[in-house]
Amino acid sequence: MKRFFSSITDGKGFDILLVAFPLGYLFLMSGLPLLYNVLMSFQEVDMFSLGTFWRPFVGLKNYRDLFAQPETLPILYNTGIFVVASIAGQFLLGFGLALFFWTNFPGASWLRGLFLVSWVMPGLVVGAIWNWILSGDFGVLNFLLRETGIIDGNIFWRSDPDFSLWAVIIANIWLGMAFNMILLSVGLSAIPKDLYEAAELDGANAFQRFWTITLPMMRSSIGAIISLGLIFTLQQFDLFAAITSGGPNNSSNVTQYWAWDLSFRQYDFAKGATISVIMIVFVMFASVVYVRSTRHEVRG
Amino acid sequence: MSEMMRNRLMLAAAIFLAAIYLFPLYWMYITALKTGSAMFATPPQFWPSDPQWQIYGEVWQSRNMGRYLFNSLVIAFGAVSLICVLGVGCAYVLARYRNVWVDIGLFLILMLQVLPASLMITPIFVGFSQIGLLASPRFAVILAIAAKSMPFFVVLVRATFMSVPQELEEAALVDGNSRVGAFWHIVLPLARNGILVSAILIFMQAFGEFVYSKSIIQAVELQPASVGLNSFMGPNTNEWNNIMAYATMYVTPILAIFVLLQRRIVSGLTSGALK
Repeated sequence: MKRFFSSITDGKGFDILLVAFPLGYLFLMSGLPLLYNVLMSFQEVDMFSLGTFWRPFVGLKNYRDLFAQPETLPILYNTGIFVVASIAGQFLLGFGLALFFWTNFPGASWLRGLFLVSWVMPGLVVGAIWNWILSGDFGVLNFLLRETGIIDGNIFWRSDPDFSLWAVIIANIWLGMAFNMILLSVGLSAIPKDLYEAAELDGANAFQRFWTITLPMMRSSIGAIISLGLIFTLQQFDLFAAITSGGPNNSSNVTQYWAWDLSFRQYDFAKGATISVIMIVFVMFASVVYVRSTRHEVRG
Repeated sequence: MSEMMRNRLMLAAAIFLAAIYLFPLYWMYITALKTGSAMFATPPQFWPSDPQWQIYGEVWQSRNMGRYLFNSLVIAFGAVSLICVLGVGCAYVLARYRNVWVDIGLFLILMLQVLPASLMITPIFVGFSQIGLLASPRFAVILAIAAKSMPFFVVLVRATFMSVPQELEEAALVDGNSRVGAFWHIVLPLARNGILVSAILIFMQAFGEFVYSKSIIQAVELQPASVGLNSFMGPNTNEWNNIMAYATMYVTPILAIFVLLQRRIVSGLTSGALK
């Protein structure tokens, strides 16, 4: 008994104790819900059976029903567009800014850090601000676009089915761009400067230096940042809740909003769980890519 | 001379870019100060001619913001305390050893970090309702947020512990400290700054959290400010000046903390996210 206690204050027991509680907690609060989610996707869940664990099993019925619904494919398609456009916008703009700030001038790092305010703000507030900026008749974005002659009439960003998804994408690019830029700056600053000096001596122009040094040297950071972008984009919920609520007529609905909408608006918990399972499998796949691309750094 | 000119040009360009990027924030502050009619003027006023400072007091009163912000603080402090108590030790052990078990633990933690809250809320809600946790909804939200944010915290704090030289701890052990003593008196004080910055980041996230609070907390008097903002914004609202005043009062404290601690937050974030 004494040895047991001394091991806790002074040996392996101390480490095991420190790890056991957090991992146990995570298992209870994340692992079990994850498994429960899979279980529910094979069950019939309604308001009456919500309180019991022993619900009738229905096999793959939830999955079949889900894909029989007419809105499923458009929503999956929207999710694809949302993910690809958001990541492309965040990454390209973030990379451009990172390269700009990389030229290093007085005040560069402070100004660069300032961009990150978008990332620490509550998503709901970002959504509210963009909701107002994108408003149809009185939105300032429409005004600026009209003044510069890009559009003739107002775009009804939130209520036009052709634009509603893009309204959220614009807000999401604004939100995620700074984070991309900061991480890309870290990658850029890790490239040894003498590579560029050598290339310059050999007569490589700026474009060639970018293609043959910057991009190849950044390969693992770019992989990590894009998979991180995929993870964050699939977590984006607040902007949908604040800007379009998935409407009009599901034209801006994506799976992560739809799963919540099915469970908490339509009280169809089984379908909500089913779409969650599908998306979580997908997110897990993305995170394996992320973990793999940062693994050598993780192990130190 | 040309070097100086270049620096000035670059700085001017950088300020211009930052101004474009931060325009939405500016627009929030300006809209809050406009009158009902100035808000819908065409062309829009980029500087309020008749600033309405009393709007903050009115919105604070009419939307009962004190209660909302108090609930946000309760949830954020609760989640951060729970995460710190559980996460610091976990990060320390994961930083101290390098073997296959640590790799497995890290892998599991990184995998849990990526689960979207809006997808996890369905099983969490059903499970919590079955074990009766929904009777104390703020506590339930704290538990859920802690599970969601702890992996990120562990990854950030682990990076901090990695930078504490292990020799210091070994020296303390040789001097007769127990493991607990060495951890408490040597390692923790050295890692304090990194832990604090990570805790602030987590606090900011928890302060703005929406999905869990919206789904779990039904009672208005227990809801945090994010849910309050959501119910303020109806589908056809036209009180944008009031909404922006609400948003201003909600985010200004966060922005102030961020600007003050910017350098530390950015470096803490970059050390953890990519490593």
